[in-house]
Amino acid sequence: MRAGLRPAAFVAGAVMIAGLTGCSGGGSDSGKTEVTWFKLTETASTANDTINGVIENFEEANPDIDIVVEERSTDAHKDALRTTLGTNGAPDIFFSWAGPGLGGEFIEAGASLNLEEYYDEYGWAERFSETTMATVTQYGGYDGVPYTQRGEALFYNKDLFAQAGVDAVPTTYDELVAAAEKLKAAGITPIQFGGTVNWHVMRLLDSILEAKCGADGYQALVTKEASWAEEPCVTETFTEFGKWTSDYLNPGFISINNDESSALFFSGEAAMALEGDWFNQSVRDNGMDESTVGIFPFPTGTNRLYGFNENNYITSNSDHADEAAKFLDYLTSEEAQQELIAAFGSQSVNINVKPEGGSELDAAWGPIFENAEGVYMNNDQNLSLAETTEYWRVQNLVATGELDPANAGAEFQKFIDQQ
Amino acid sequence: MSTTIAPPAPPAGRKRSVARKRVAKASHVGFVAALPFLAPALAAYLVFVIGPMVESVRLSFFEWSGFQGAPQEFVGLKNYVRIFTQDPVFWTALGNTVIWVILSLVIPVALGLVLALALNRPLFGRNAFRSLFYIPGVLAPIAIANMWRWMYNPNFGVGVTLAEMFNAPWLAEIQWLGDRNLALYSIFAAFVWQIAGTNMVLFLAGLQSVATEHVEAAKLDGANAWQVFRNVTLPALRPVTVVVVVLTIINSIKVFDLIVGMTGGGPAQSTQVLALWSFTQSFGNHEYGMGNAIATVLLVITLIIVVPYMVWTARQEKHS
Repeated sequence: MRAGLRPAAFVAGAVMIAGLTGCSGGGSDSGKTEVTWFKLTETASTANDTINGVIENFEEANPDIDIVVEERSTDAHKDALRTTLGTNGAPDIFFSWAGPGLGGEFIEAGASLNLEEYYDEYGWAERFSETTMATVTQYGGYDGVPYTQRGEALFYNKDLFAQAGVDAVPTTYDELVAAAEKLKAAGITPIQFGGTVNWHVMRLLDSILEAKCGADGYQALVTKEASWAEEPCVTETFTEFGKWTSDYLNPGFISINNDESSALFFSGEAAMALEGDWFNQSVRDNGMDESTVGIFPFPTGTNRLYGFNENNYITSNSDHADEAAKFLDYLTSEEAQQELIAAFGSQSVNINVKPEGGSELDAAWGPIFENAEGVYMNNDQNLSLAETTEYWRVQNLVATGELDPANAGAEFQKFIDQQ
Repeated sequence: MSTTIAPPAPPAGRKRSVARKRVAKASHVGFVAALPFLAPALAAYLVFVIGPMVESVRLSFFEWSGFQGAPQEFVGLKNYVRIFTQDPVFWTALGNTVIWVILSLVIPVALGLVLALALNRPLFGRNAFRSLFYIPGVLAPIAIANMWRWMYNPNFGVGVTLAEMFNAPWLAEIQWLGDRNLALYSIFAAFVWQIAGTNMVLFLAGLQSVATEHVEAAKLDGANAWQVFRNVTLPALRPVTVVVVVLTIINSIKVFDLIVGMTGGGPAQSTQVLALWSFTQSFGNHEYGMGNAIATVLLVITLIIVVPYMVWTARQEKHS
């Protein structure tokens, strides 16, 4: 009798082991394949809802795949990528800025899977524009799938402009300074920034650099073909930047973050915000009357638009690359993109998708993108991570009056030379 | 008639030698007997404490981006040369760490002792006060950082409220976290609020060991309150003072969360400290060699301060 029980026990044990192994290796308890996606928490809650809706649609059409999203704020997301990529804790898909400074370090470290076979399988190369494809092929392979194409410009409060007697939107840098002066004279904070997240104030410095050095000068500096210590436009830039931070920014900007400073724009205390196209939804979500808000590009005089691309990358050690590629194919499909740009009020990376039915504010981005003759990218995407940290230090030294703008370029160049 | 012949007494030197051998043998046997019980903790200590420390020191001689699979290139002392001669933030971070340690040894320790002495007396609501002062010590540092950051907010913080209340506009203009010369001390105020209660509890525990007979005897001998404190209470508090001082030094050297949460090391790295700068170099800049070189410097500083102090206090204990 005992002998008769042995085969049954063996079979039961084998079934248990099979069941246990079935639950391991990235599968969920329900037997589905789990694809983890590290992404940013959207600043606008409605944008989050839209993305969750897109994920639900994908999961309905692919019941054997679960998309598990881990969302973090900007800096926490950067930290998460730096600590998990290349390890067993890495996700299957990670969102990243596509510039060489931020995303580039991950690609060079081998964290991204070359997606050439998926580009062939899904015909992605025909789906995206040349500009966005350039961000994919810039490292020699096919790294990442385009997610967004971001533009940044000045949002302004029409009522506050009228109150200060600024009758027309500034079209030159000098007109912008004159507008800021009028706003200040009227007792209005001309523009808001949050300084604890260094990349927020950096937008102002980058844009003045583009205005003072021109497109070629800007590119020469960020690619280190020109010396920050020797170009007179660098000193002009830091001098102007110092004037803005001492005269036109919200008092105490250096000790608050971007969310706290944005509240000043939403509440009508600050007249301008230098933000990206994602800010349309934030304006709506924070109860601002959209009709009182306008957008114009930072008047650099170069006709280049301030902006950057964001891509989703499949990690090189992902066990579910096929499923991840399937999801990214859906995420960039016409169906999903149409929903996404409705929430973001932005341009789609899919060339077949055009903004439809958006508000006046959303529509304002169309001509801005169309009229742009190229892009100047945020410098935390142009420079290496260590250089960015130093760029921010020099920026903040000037912003707090601790460093003579005339010495700022040399201070930064000294660091570059020591690398 | 019997004669008892006493064995010749061994010379004094031989006696001591025999005693030492016996003690050594007993210690050896005791250690061997204790080893099976010590082994699990010892293994965990080696793996989780000593191992990472050794690895950190090793990495300080390499250049590495920190990614698995990325090559580690041996560069000798280059990382140390860079942090000491080229890093624009290292000396600021070191200076701030030293300031933080010195202030921590003076203000929260003294405050903790004063609170303990006050709340060791019969007092109405004594337990409630003890709890009240201790609560900040159990809060997560990052939550404390968030709370104090809001208090220091230049638009709607405490300064603005007080300025309106007392009609003193200058109060609203103080940039608690935005002024390079003030920011570190503003964060330190939050640290004092967090840690003073914990010191108080440790001193309170120590005060329970002060024999009331000694205090009463001193009073009968005509000692005043200060003399009782100086000659009876304070010596009795020596063991707990060692604990408080060592914990304070360690806590202040590794301060991290409060600074990350309140300024992130800014403005312009003016509130950087070594622990945070080591983290920033490793995880922010992907300069693991530099990050670990800074961590090694931090380790050496900690050992230089803590070990001699502990040895000195152990000797004092032995003599007394």
